[in-house]
Amino acid sequence: MAETKENYDLTPRVAPNLDRHLVFPILEFLQERQLYPDEQILKFKIELLNKTNMVDYAMDIHKSLYHTEDAPQDMVERRAEVVARLKSLEEAAAPLVTFLLNPNAVQELRADKQYNLQMLKERYQIGPDQIEALYQYAKFQFECGNYSGAADYLYQYRTLCSNLERSLSALWGKLASEILMQNWDIALEELNRVKEIIDSKSFASPLNQVQNRIWLMHWGLYIFFNHENGRTQIIDLFIQDKYMNAIQTSAPHLLRYLATAFIVNKRRRPQLKEFIKVIQQEHYSYKDPIVEFLACVFVNYDFDGAQRKMKECEEVIVNDPFLGKRVEDGNFSTVPLKDEFLENARLFIFETYCRIHQRIDMGVLAEKLNLNYEEAERWIVNLIRTSKLDAKIDSESGTVIMEPTQPNVHEQLVNHTKALSGRTYKLVTQLLEHSQGQAAR
Amino acid sequence: MTSRFFAQGASDSEDESDYEEEITEVQNNIDSRYLEGGSDDDDDTDTKRVVKPAKDKRFEEMTHTVEQMKNAMKINDWVSLQENFDKVNKQLEKVMRITEAVKAPGLYIKTLVLLEDFLNEALANKEAKKKMSPSNSKALNAMRQKLKKNNKQYEEDINKYREAPEVEDENEGEDDEEEESEFEDDVSLEDVVVAPVDEPVEDNRWETMKNKGEREMEKLLSKDPKEITWEWVNQKFKEIVAARGKKGTARFELVDQLTHLTKIAKTPAQKLEILFSVISAQFDVNPGLSGHMPIKVWKKCVLNMLTILDILVKYSNIVVDDTIEPDENESSKPADYDGKVRVWGNLVAFIERIDTEFFKSLQSIDPHTREYVERLRDEPMFLALAQNIQDYFERMGDFKSAAKVALRRVESIYYKPQEVYEAMRKLAELAEEDEDAEEGEEENGPPSSFIVVPEVVPRKPTFPESGRAMMDLLVSLIYRNGDERTKARAMLCDIYHHALMDNFGTARDLLLMSHLQDNIQHMDISTQILFNRTMAQLGLCAFRVGMITESHSCLSELYSGQRVRELLAQGVSQSRYHEKTPEQERMERRRQMPYHMHLNLELLEAVHLIGAMLLEVPNMAANSLEARRRVISKNFRRLLEISERQAFNAPPENVRDHVMAATRALTKGDFQTAFEVLNSLEVWRLLKNRDSILEMVKARIKEEALRTYLFTYSSSYESLSLDQLAKMFDISKALVHSIVSKMMINEELHASWDQPTQCIVFHEVQHSRLQSLAFQLTEKLSVLAESNERAMESRTGGGGLDLSSRRRDNNQDYAGAASGGGKWQDNMNYGQGRQGNRSGYGGRSSGQNGQPRDWSGQNRGGGYVGRAGSVNRGGMQMDGSSRMVNLNRGGRP
Repeated sequence: MAETKENYDLTPRVAPNLDRHLVFPILEFLQERQLYPDEQILKFKIELLNKTNMVDYAMDIHKSLYHTEDAPQDMVERRAEVVARLKSLEEAAAPLVTFLLNPNAVQELRADKQYNLQMLKERYQIGPDQIEALYQYAKFQFECGNYSGAADYLYQYRTLCSNLERSLSALWGKLASEILMQNWDIALEELNRVKEIIDSKSFASPLNQVQNRIWLMHWGLYIFFNHENGRTQIIDLFIQDKYMNAIQTSAPHLLRYLATAFIVNKRRRPQLKEFIKVIQQEHYSYKDPIVEFLACVFVNYDFDGAQRKMKECEEVIVNDPFLGKRVEDGNFSTVPLKDEFLENARLFIFETYCRIHQRIDMGVLAEKLNLNYEEAERWIVNLIRTSKLDAKIDSESGTVIMEPTQPNVHEQLVNHTKALSGRTYKLVTQLLEHSQGQAAR
Repeated sequence: MTSRFFAQGASDSEDESDYEEEITEVQNNIDSRYLEGGSDDDDDTDTKRVVKPAKDKRFEEMTHTVEQMKNAMKINDWVSLQENFDKVNKQLEKVMRITEAVKAPGLYIKTLVLLEDFLNEALANKEAKKKMSPSNSKALNAMRQKLKKNNKQYEEDINKYREAPEVEDENEGEDDEEEESEFEDDVSLEDVVVAPVDEPVEDNRWETMKNKGEREMEKLLSKDPKEITWEWVNQKFKEIVAARGKKGTARFELVDQLTHLTKIAKTPAQKLEILFSVISAQFDVNPGLSGHMPIKVWKKCVLNMLTILDILVKYSNIVVDDTIEPDENESSKPADYDGKVRVWGNLVAFIERIDTEFFKSLQSIDPHTREYVERLRDEPMFLALAQNIQDYFERMGDFKSAAKVALRRVESIYYKPQEVYEAMRKLAELAEEDEDAEEGEEENGPPSSFIVVPEVVPRKPTFPESGRAMMDLLVSLIYRNGDERTKARAMLCDIYHHALMDNFGTARDLLLMSHLQDNIQHMDISTQILFNRTMAQLGLCAFRVGMITESHSCLSELYSGQRVRELLAQGVSQSRYHEKTPEQERMERRRQMPYHMHLNLELLEAVHLIGAMLLEVPNMAANSLEARRRVISKNFRRLLEISERQAFNAPPENVRDHVMAATRALTKGDFQTAFEVLNSLEVWRLLKNRDSILEMVKARIKEEALRTYLFTYSSSYESLSLDQLAKMFDISKALVHSIVSKMMINEELHASWDQPTQCIVFHEVQHSRLQSLAFQLTEKLSVLAESNERAMESRTGGGGLDLSSRRRDNNQDYAGAASGGGKWQDNMNYGQGRQGNRSGYGGRSSGQNGQPRDWSGQNRGGGYVGRAGSVNRGGMQMDGSSRMVNLNRGGRP
């Protein structure tokens, strides 16, 4: 079982697409879930930290890993180095920082970037060098783990920066900071901003653009599964052709999150059909219980298989850093997404099942839904009551009987002809436009 | 050779001296030259039986014409002589083609000699010339020129004949004793008397020429090594090169002389320069485009190339370039010269030429002989050379050229399955040892050269473990550095190889992402052939992994016409309706794939037809009652119609018969018979994992039989139990459940499950007359609207993007095709295809249920940077034959 758990763990595939700092929450989660030996995770953490400036943190981990009190020499040295660099950067950025800290001065800034630059230069002797220093300083702050400071400085930097390339990386930095501070609303705004830039900017090669999109999607995972509206957002973002292409070419593991979002979210049913096609195409390149569950229900109509997959899905969700977020409720913690997922998955199975049956034994149904008999009955009654299901329960034989869903002939005819007038109308408009266009020429 | 034959012929043909006999001899003689070790001591009775009427006929015609010519000579009728001369030339062509001879038959040569003599005589006789009628003298002049031109080709033969005419005469004289001998005497007499001036002159010229060549050689050999200076070598070299291509320069001699020069070259640069000329001269050994280079020469050529590389690697200051005109004395710089030495040459062109020659030789050697196998064994040699050159280029930083060479390597391995690859790898290792021994001996023979180049470059190709690894290596290099065409070809080879390895998904993705389908129309023919081959292999691959729909859509285009052979360049297909010009035919023959690269056509046909059967049979059953029938495979339908028209069905013989027999069984739901018939096909033995594939075919047949059965007989049932169905078709209950559920969801089957009893309950959907009329009306309306839109679209030129996107919703892939509204909008599939042709693929490709995907080199280094546009990633329904490559285009310039 442990093996399969690791198989479903996407960390190795997700991590390369994240910022170093963004990997920490995942590692924390893994540590908590005890999927890997503690030592391994700690080692990995140190490795991660080596490239960042969070030396103190690295020392702590080192101590707990090797149960010693003294930190290795190179770490100590590095610490001194980092502190020194921080000092020098601080000095370099000082004029601008003091300016920004002065609320009166800040009010002098206007919406016009050109004017601001001019003004800074003339009145405060702040040139491009200082602005550049601000960026470096912000970056350093971020690397030291001071995310809120970094976010502030980067925000300021963006208002002053004229270099598009720099501006984009500042934006990425801001996004990462907001995610790490868990300001989901702001993070979502930043995300959309980055997305706009990616879509509009011309990249050196299409490959770069795709890579940027993939980063964006990965980073977005934090937001989407924490923001209240995220589950709709994720679908809207991922299902776009460009992003779907990126997923298919380079990051098929993202299908898991999209699939989960589809199952949990009822509002995006129309797009589901499209998604099923993608699943069919990609089934050779990526396998995942959640994706397979959808395939079972909508491609193979294998309900027993779907039921089996449902159990696996539970496992996957609990162990996924993005999906398995816990909510502490008094003494015991729950994974809200899991319950939601199971409920909706059940509904999926049931819906499809009902479409092709006219009489179903309650016992079998209960089994298929992973419920006991009474629960199942209650569940179905609820569905009938909320008129989601056109059926009756025959208590005597213990069956559910579907009302025949014969499509009405009139309805069919209406459906067939409904679009015709609209189409014709459109055609005429087109024709007119065309002829006008020709006449104008 | 000839004289030997004639001598032999003279002794043999004593008792049976008729023409047939002699021709056979000629035949034999020629054949024996081809069939190595074919016995020369043929007995007459045997050979006689071998005689083929066609050859006979040609020869008879020729002799007849020659007779006529002789008659014309007698009466001094130049007009008819000229006509006959043309005729005999034409006949000669035919004879040569039939006998596949390289040399003109003796009869022809003899005639030429006669003509020449007669012409000389006529020219000498000025008085007679004056007396001639104007038309006659005009013909005489024309004849003189023609003959002069013509005889040049056969100069050697003529000279030979002239040297030993008696032998021939003896032989031939027997046939038509009276006339011939009389005439012959006549001529020879006149020869001596009238044209003594002309004749010896020519003979002499030839003599001197030959002598000159020999003398040259002697001079080269006898030269005292101490006297040889760079200038002297350079001058000699220039002389020899200047003689190249001139009339009367024997090509082999040229090569020999140059080879000798390389040995006495003073500086490495000079040696290099001369080696380049040697290779060019070696390429020239075979004139004309049709034949191939003699194999021995080819091998020497490869060795020369390796020597060049040795020099280049050892003296890294020498640069090969073909853009700048080099300095006269560039090559005089000694070996220890520091600066750069530029030598003119183009390694890429050479290696490409060598590859082409190798390819050509395989094309023309009969694949069923040992010779062919022997020839194939030379491939590692070529690969070693290519590998070395590529390495050299990579070291020099010339990645563009390296990519070109890499492509050549890719093209010689992409079609090899792992087993073949493995065999080649082993062979290369073995062959190397043998060669080493041989080479050692050779080295000792000739006098050592001034510039001794140690063998720096490895003579052995190194192969990675698997063909895939090698492909990946080469292909990624090409994607990074190659030009458009090189990349496209490498991509196709890559796809082919993936398909060969049964990686259908990868292969398909590569194909779709590279947009090759859209652009292939604009590429050259050999790339188009490669594309067709790739599609065929992709189809086979899809079949092997059990994706019938995909397989069928790959192959259906290939079979939409009757020209599979031509499309794959595996033979020429005859067309009844238009005759090909000889030019076209020759072009086509030059494009043919060598035998070892062929895809088995029977297997291909079997796969295609079985795929079509599996899709079409349930489809026919489902739509049997509808007026507008949706046709998946037109080709299959046509074949089925033909086979149904027959009053009696014979037991199946070829692939087609087998599939038709299987189809008949399957339509009745008899999956057992259907499978047995298919199982008896011969072609399955060509598949690697044949058992699992047959198992898959069986499973698919069962499924489709079940579907067909339900379509056909559902109206006769109120309910059907799952158990019964499972038993009937020998399928597991779960699978039956899944299949039937799918049909229900897609509304192909109006029924639903009754879960407690495990039954299918059918719902009778019967429309009243009025209702069905109303449906028909709506259908017609929508067709009307549809055609309006199409008309509009074609006028405005693809302005209907929103229309096509709307249509996407209506379009379903095969599985869901018949569902709901889809049923009566299906015809759009075809309409859309047609419309697509008109307004270009841009708008349409995204129209077909596929996800467009901008492409940018998946996990592959730099990537093959994609072109703009969108890809139909979905069902790969490339409808219409428009995408298939039409090879006839190439015939016309």
